[in-house]
Amino acid sequence: MEATPTNSMTSQLVETSDRGLADRVLRDGDEGAFRALYSRHTPYLYQFALRTLGGNEPEAEDVIQEAWIRAVEKLDSFRWEAELRSWLAGIVLNLCRGLFRRKDRQWLEIDESALGSPRTARLDERMDLEQALHLLPDGYRTVLVLHDLEGYTHEEIGQALGTTAGTSKSQLSRARRAMRDLLVETEAL
Amino acid sequence: MNDERHDLTPAEKAEFASLPRERTPGRLLEERTVRALRRRGLLQGSRFRPSGLFAAAAAAVAVFVSGFAAGQWTTARSVTHSLIEAQQQTAIEAARTVQRTGSAYVTSIAALAQLTDSTGNPALAQGQEAAVAALYNAAAELARLVPNDPMAQLLRRVLQGRHTDTTEQIGARNVVWF
Repeated sequence: MEATPTNSMTSQLVETSDRGLADRVLRDGDEGAFRALYSRHTPYLYQFALRTLGGNEPEAEDVIQEAWIRAVEKLDSFRWEAELRSWLAGIVLNLCRGLFRRKDRQWLEIDESALGSPRTARLDERMDLEQALHLLPDGYRTVLVLHDLEGYTHEEIGQALGTTAGTSKSQLSRARRAMRDLLVETEAL
Repeated sequence: MNDERHDLTPAEKAEFASLPRERTPGRLLEERTVRALRRRGLLQGSRFRPSGLFAAAAAAVAVFVSGFAAGQWTTARSVTHSLIEAQQQTAIEAARTVQRTGSAYVTSIAALAQLTDSTGNPALAQGQEAAVAALYNAAAELARLVPNDPMAQLLRRVLQGRHTDTTEQIGARNVVWF
């Protein structure tokens, strides 16, 4: 297919760095540049939010929209010492935490009794890992996602969640045990 | 509280690694987000930027004018081409007609001459007159066709004098044209 001016412009944006696109958004309010950034990072951010929020799609979409608004508002304060995606993920994580708090959901240091029952899960023959993650309490799930999926260190988790590395370690240990219990129980059903 | 027994097994690590890292939300979310950013003045809607609008209008006019000019040129070229073709075709046809009818003219006069020699049929005078009249008109057209040709001019002058005399002699006589 021949390259049209629109296609050419789009491909230029696709090849532009995050910083170049962010500059255009900041300087000109360039919608095309924003859409390029959005397309580049949203699939990752959305999956991250969806997992952290236990598979709640409407909440995850609200979080993503709000995250982009905050990101564009604060873009001029981003120093580019880290990757843009990491910064965006941090905003998503803070929004998820805020959502948990507003809904008075338990965050960290939860009681074991708060664990969801596998029998309330949407089960087929066997619960898969994704479903088990969704059933974990918010605090457990968040630490598990950050550490075992996203590769955060305990120090980074502590910093991101406003707690300590030690708390992160203990939460992770409990979260893994809870996850295994969920998977084993559903296997036994 | 960190319990080594709770470290991930290789199988669990593989299972975690196999989980999808990306998921595309619905298209509406992007539009919703862009609208929200526009409302806050953080994005300039490209469709409503005056400079963009003028550029789009200018581009549209340029495309229209170019298209119109191209269409005009193509049509004119097509018509001219057709006209030339038609003229060429007509000229060929006309030349062929001259050749065909000229031969027929000469042949018919020859036949008339044979009849004149052998019979005294008065109807033949009409044939002779028609032959002279045709020759005169042909000479007149030939003089227009090749005005500088001496033979054509001479023939026309000679025939003009004879044609006038004959016409006066014929008077109301009907000449059968073919």
